[in-house]
Amino acid sequence: MVLKLKHMSIAVAALLAIQVPASAGDALAIRVGRAETIANGSVEHAVILIEDGRISMVDQDLPVERGIPVLDRPEWTAMPGLVLAYSRAGLGGSSASIFEPQRSAAREVYPKNSVWKTLREAGVTTLGLFPAGKGVPGQAVALRTMGSTPEEMILAESAFLKASMQSDASAKKRLRDGFEEADEYEEKEQKARQKWEKDQEKKKKKKKSSKKKDDDEDEKDDNEKEDDEPKPYVAPEPDEKAVPFLRWRAGELHAVIAVRKAADYLHLLDVLSEEDVTYDLRLPIRSETDIYEVAERIAEHGCRVVLEPRTAWHPGSRQDRNVARELDEAGVEVVLIPQFDTVSSFERWLSDVGYIVKMGLDRETALRGVTLAAAGMLGLEERLGSIEPGKDANLLFFDGDPLEPASNLRAVMLEGEFVSGEVDL
Amino acid sequence: MFKRQRRALVLSAFFSTIAAASVPALPFVDDEDEEAEESEEEEDDSPAWFAVRGGDVYTGTGGLLRGATILAKNGKIEEIGYDLYVPEDAVVVDATGRRVYPGLVAIDASSRVVEGTVPGPAREEALEFGDDGHDHGMEFEAEEEPELPYQLDQELFEEPEVHLLDHDEELAAAFEAAGGTLDVDAAADFLGAGADLGDEFDPFNYNLVLTLAAGITTVGQSKGVVKLKRNEIEDVVMADRKLVSLSWSSGRSKQSLREKFEGAARYVREMRTWEEEKKKNKDLPEPSRKGVDSTALKILSGEAFAKFGNSGRNDLLEIARLAQTYGFRPVFEDCIEGWTIASELGRAGAYAIVTPRTRVAKDERLQREGGSSIENAALLYDHGVQVALIPGDKSIDLMGLAGRDLMHLPIEAAFAVRGGLPEDAAIAGITSVPARLLGVDHRVGTLEVGKDCDLILTDGDLLHYETFVHVTVVEGKVVYEKDAEPYWSRIPDLAPEKAE
Repeated sequence: MVLKLKHMSIAVAALLAIQVPASAGDALAIRVGRAETIANGSVEHAVILIEDGRISMVDQDLPVERGIPVLDRPEWTAMPGLVLAYSRAGLGGSSASIFEPQRSAAREVYPKNSVWKTLREAGVTTLGLFPAGKGVPGQAVALRTMGSTPEEMILAESAFLKASMQSDASAKKRLRDGFEEADEYEEKEQKARQKWEKDQEKKKKKKKSSKKKDDDEDEKDDNEKEDDEPKPYVAPEPDEKAVPFLRWRAGELHAVIAVRKAADYLHLLDVLSEEDVTYDLRLPIRSETDIYEVAERIAEHGCRVVLEPRTAWHPGSRQDRNVARELDEAGVEVVLIPQFDTVSSFERWLSDVGYIVKMGLDRETALRGVTLAAAGMLGLEERLGSIEPGKDANLLFFDGDPLEPASNLRAVMLEGEFVSGEVDL
Repeated sequence: MFKRQRRALVLSAFFSTIAAASVPALPFVDDEDEEAEESEEEEDDSPAWFAVRGGDVYTGTGGLLRGATILAKNGKIEEIGYDLYVPEDAVVVDATGRRVYPGLVAIDASSRVVEGTVPGPAREEALEFGDDGHDHGMEFEAEEEPELPYQLDQELFEEPEVHLLDHDEELAAAFEAAGGTLDVDAAADFLGAGADLGDEFDPFNYNLVLTLAAGITTVGQSKGVVKLKRNEIEDVVMADRKLVSLSWSSGRSKQSLREKFEGAARYVREMRTWEEEKKKNKDLPEPSRKGVDSTALKILSGEAFAKFGNSGRNDLLEIARLAQTYGFRPVFEDCIEGWTIASELGRAGAYAIVTPRTRVAKDERLQREGGSSIENAALLYDHGVQVALIPGDKSIDLMGLAGRDLMHLPIEAAFAVRGGLPEDAAIAGITSVPARLLGVDHRVGTLEVGKDCDLILTDGDLLHYETFVHVTVVEGKVVYEKDAEPYWSRIPDLAPEKAE
């Protein structure tokens, strides 16, 4: 299928070529006044074509073939569904320091929990749910906020490994211990492999010598020969707690590490100095923050930073600092989450984002921070987070600018279905 | 090849120093220097040069070098003098019209200075619940926790209570738990606990910035000695703790301490005899260390200092005699009535850690002199006691009665001068003497070739109350600039007026 269309003529040709099914039941075109595509900026008078739960085309004034229903809402602004990448959504926290990297937040997903509906109505279509606790409490899951079984809801198991780092010896040791366990396993595995290789060689030699013998003496013991069949190499079972660290090291798993202040980040770098692993940072914004001190260093390591859309004081003063803006200007990708894990915070999430945009954060960055950047943190940026052909049709429709507090969320679409709001086709 | 080039640079530096003293630098030196510099750009381990030019340098060793230059290489002072060759890639700070002093040393500082504080609740709640976002230490903890909406990672900020205590308080609690006397191995544990300190260091916290703003670059902690670096956490712990607090209060504690020193002294004697005898008789068994107090042994061998918190005249006399008997140099903290027996303390080779502004009334039932005196530091110093000076409040305190916290270390020293202490002794009391007591005098405390390049630039006499520290340098890096920080940048520079 043609994914990107620049010229209208091609669009028409492509539309003709696509051969929309006669029933056209699955296809829907939505014409809105403006679409915040995230991937390609804002598009005025946008037409979004949705097929089989996915966005198949989006462009300005795209002509729609007859037979495809069109939802004409020139007063609406569309944007991708919100991705709340870092949440406990009504589950509460735990201050226990634990080391359970193998645990998954999937066991906490109850489809009947009313919080999913609340989130959906607030425009959250994708959720990253992490396990509670300090230390290394386990792995997060990525969910769609819809479904009647956990399987239906879960988009990705082990979306990221969650850990926390503070400036103290025990927190540093905890993280180091994880890597040490991985080291131990790797050593064990190497030894086992070497042993296996040696055995293979021995057997080969034996075979050779026995072949000679065979030549001399006629086939004598077939049993021995059968024993010599090469055994496939079986790696030893790693400890369940070492697995996530092994996967992290291998680049199969991504981590989100919570820090409180700039110093914590330096101590994290100290722990990870020998490791080549990818990770994002979570920085809860409190009354004061000094994270701007290490903004450049964070950018250098290519970490995203998850934070609340609020300003903080320069330490020891009343000087306001827009941390999100400073991080963005340093080249760090910011992911914005609601102020608290409460219903009212979900509802005012976008107007909070609007506030720090008024305070100087780039608007595109801000919108990206609640959609595509957040999807990236969950490893889902290929699948959702922007209005692009091929992506899940997770769309929000506002009757104004999404970042204006006066605007209302009129409809929420999740994978092609309207799940909230009243829409007459 | 790189090595050769670098040698060329050093040599050229050397020659140009000589040359500059007599004739202007020769042009070929410059050429060579450029070449060397080019090669250095490719090198990763090229030395970091730093220079402070044109200031009046108070070295702390008795010298005042007007308009001199201090050149540092990789954080260590390379040269101090006039017409020095300064490599072109050196970071140069112009100190014209400023005074240059060694970085100050606070013998004791709150752990908050090096560990920072945990940021308070989010601002909206902070305002709502009456907390202004500043660290109130224990006070805030004592208040009832306001109920806040759950913020993600809130638990990250909930620290075990012990973290909020200063380590000295931990130490005190440990001593109390041990029955008020020195528990041999508990104290020994604290002596070697410096390792953790580096893992807790916060090089960005504003307590640290304000401490640097006061000119302090080295602080003693209950676990060790820390260099106040900024933006980095490597190699901040300079040494383990050398000062051991000993208790001299109840009859029991005095008795047990005496016994411990007696045992250690006996062991030292036996060891010496054994070492002599061993030459003749090789099979002689080594004397047993069983039951010998390791801390007392460290004190007798000079590896650790015995610190006493006593202030009363009788206690001070008793300790001075104990020290003379067993041959160690006692350290008296507070030492309030020390001035009444200064000659006795001088004879015992004592050190004193004095807070000149401490006020304690005399016990009027006694005929003898007593209570505090502004002349304490001066009288002790006159009788040969080495005096370190420290304010009463060892943290950075932004509320309450201002002027008595760590930010006012030089003011505290100025009060000792008010009591008659010579100015150079007062400056030694906040630089070289505390450095010696902390066991880091080989690195800090004075401006000397080979020591760390820790220095401060002031706009006047360090001990004058109007003086501000304008620049603080730690190991050849500018870590504080008055004009670049929000705290005192608005206060105008007094130096030009003073110069008139």
